[in-house]
Amino acid sequence: MILLEANSYIIEESLLQRFTSEKHEAVDIKLVDFDGVTYHLSTPTSRTELHFSMAAPCFNELVSYGAQDIIQREYGTYLASATEQGYHCTFVFDLEKLPADITALAKKFGMLKRNVFAAPFEKAFKEWETELEEPGTLMTIHYREEEAIYLRANQDRVTVIFSTLFKEEMDRIFGKVFLQEFVDARRLPSIQNAPQVLYSNREPPLEIRHLPNLKDDESVGYVTFVLFPRHFEHPDVREKTISDIQLFRDYLHYHIKCSKAYMHSRMRARVQDFLKVLNRAKPDRSSTAEKKLASGRSFRPSPISLRPST
Amino acid sequence: MSRLAPVVIDNGTGYTKMGFAGNTDPQFVIPTAIATRDAGSASAPNLPKKPAFLSSAASSSHLASKRGIDDLDFFIGDEALANSKTYGLSYPIRHGQIENWDHMERYWEQSIFKYLRCEPEDHFFLLTEPPLNAPENRENTAEIFFESFNIQGLYIAVQAVLALAASWTSGKSTDQTLTGTVIDSGDGVTHVIPVAEGYVIGSSIRHIPIAGRDITAFVQQLLREHQEIAIPPEDSLDVARRIKEQYSYVCPDIVKEFKKFDQEPHKYFKQLDAVHSVTQKSYKVDVGYERFLAPEIFFNPEIVSSDFLVPLPEVVDQVIQTSPIDTRRGLYKNIVLSGGSTMFKDFGKRLQRDIKRLTDQRLQTSEDMSGGSHKAKPIDVNVIAHKKQRHAVWFGGSLMACTDQFYSFSHTKAEYEEYGPSICRHNRVFNSLA
Repeated sequence: MILLEANSYIIEESLLQRFTSEKHEAVDIKLVDFDGVTYHLSTPTSRTELHFSMAAPCFNELVSYGAQDIIQREYGTYLASATEQGYHCTFVFDLEKLPADITALAKKFGMLKRNVFAAPFEKAFKEWETELEEPGTLMTIHYREEEAIYLRANQDRVTVIFSTLFKEEMDRIFGKVFLQEFVDARRLPSIQNAPQVLYSNREPPLEIRHLPNLKDDESVGYVTFVLFPRHFEHPDVREKTISDIQLFRDYLHYHIKCSKAYMHSRMRARVQDFLKVLNRAKPDRSSTAEKKLASGRSFRPSPISLRPST
Repeated sequence: MSRLAPVVIDNGTGYTKMGFAGNTDPQFVIPTAIATRDAGSASAPNLPKKPAFLSSAASSSHLASKRGIDDLDFFIGDEALANSKTYGLSYPIRHGQIENWDHMERYWEQSIFKYLRCEPEDHFFLLTEPPLNAPENRENTAEIFFESFNIQGLYIAVQAVLALAASWTSGKSTDQTLTGTVIDSGDGVTHVIPVAEGYVIGSSIRHIPIAGRDITAFVQQLLREHQEIAIPPEDSLDVARRIKEQYSYVCPDIVKEFKKFDQEPHKYFKQLDAVHSVTQKSYKVDVGYERFLAPEIFFNPEIVSSDFLVPLPEVVDQVIQTSPIDTRRGLYKNIVLSGGSTMFKDFGKRLQRDIKRLTDQRLQTSEDMSGGSHKAKPIDVNVIAHKKQRHAVWFGGSLMACTDQFYSFSHTKAEYEEYGPSICRHNRVFNSLA
């Protein structure tokens, strides 16, 4: 598994399980997704009425960039009239009146987080379409406590900047190597069309340097993607770009962890090799056969006890 | 930001149960199997290829083109089984203990990022370990979770204790005690584990080499012998498993049960509809004596095995008799079932009756020997079956991770960095006692 998938497997499974079960049991399940998103699956009123709520820490920001429109567009028919306490949006399924293709329905809701987080991206691409003279508004999404995505549409491109935080020294080094590899890899002829990636540690890129209260610390890194029209002109490519780019932070951290696991397996293999060498250095025990003295007495030349045996 | 729900992972020999704390059922139950490219040799971990800069300085400006991504090319769980033809399949856990740490680390990697979809840096984790797990294994686990995944905190619980905690939901258990005997029967092995006040009495644990897999194999063998129509060999394991799961039950008396079946066959014989996996033709399988014979191998192991001959009730009795004398009544009073192979109908009832019979007999002999001058207080035998039995360990973990104390019992990342992996040798639940 190289790429992380945009859809949430756990939501699909949980929903499908409820959709297909014959007798409708009472449900109360709480789930979690990347970036602090939480879900709640429950049957508060009747057993055939399944409520599904989502909460995201940066939901208000997303709404200001048009997330509500996307929810209305994609999931409008299932939207509940009242939102559950503590959550940001709630959907209702009537388990007795489900559409024929329940797999597709589950899949669609598996993409809920992706679609909600797509709002600022879609907005930026729309802004670009209006052929702006001046750079568009800078959009900020604080998707995690101390990390944010910055987006801005320009005349000829859309810039996406991720700020990410490495809690550990080692992660930072891995992250650095990993991100520099992007620059190297881009020289390959097969991926010439990939967006340009810039990486800077501690130093914020020019686009966001004017922002107040940016964290000034060694542990912060900034990754800038420069998206050109070829990445978002075609609607299919656009959807894919959005899916891939918004998972970038998780993708990065996932691969840092994978590289660590890889290092560990190399270390274990190496230790086993060294152990083999060490074991070879052990004194040979097979030479403890009985030996005879000139006098006729026999003894065992053991490395541990040299007492002659009678 | 409020704390996100802790992650509970119960890695068993056959299946891994994982999900978020606070839920009543695990979100995923998948086989503990991993399919990798390296021919599946479980004993000798393949040395990954050296990176390009070490092996030879072949001239190419693109470093990236030479790097393999073999270490990411693997599947876990059901996908691993589906890909077992082109990949090497291996089971990193044997007899409850982790055998191959390389595979296990990658298994966790994918279960966290692909299945649970959570950022491990934001969560506390609750893992389980078998009784008598070596502390080195626990340290290795802690190392992986703190160093590779940077988790916030870790708690490693003993499976048997979690199973006891899970039984509190049953209506039958009156007081919430951590004293009891746990019968944990999964896919690979059955353990009988006495627990006193949350301490596992290690010296009295007994393993029984009969578990889910053996029952399925036994049903399969019966089908082969008695079936008139041939069950396609490629489907026979699946048919046997379905018969075991859907129709099997425990009978009070095997001879009477045979008679009942012979007198009224139409009432007891069942039919199972099966579909040939290759030709998609449907066929019917008659289910007869298998229904009560399958679980019977717990009570009469001589029908399948020639080297293990002690029935389960006797093993339980022996376990309790070898435990410290002041805990025995408590152990008899609270016998808890856990694991999928204890789900047979009336399994608990039969077990309770047989154990009761054994203890009553012993009391009777001692009374007779004293010449009737001593009257012993009858021993209270209680076998507790409950609704969450199948995933009892996971459920117990989920319950435990919901409590506020969980965070104070867990070992945090800061502590790990201060003291190293040895912190996991100490369980803070017992702080007040030590």
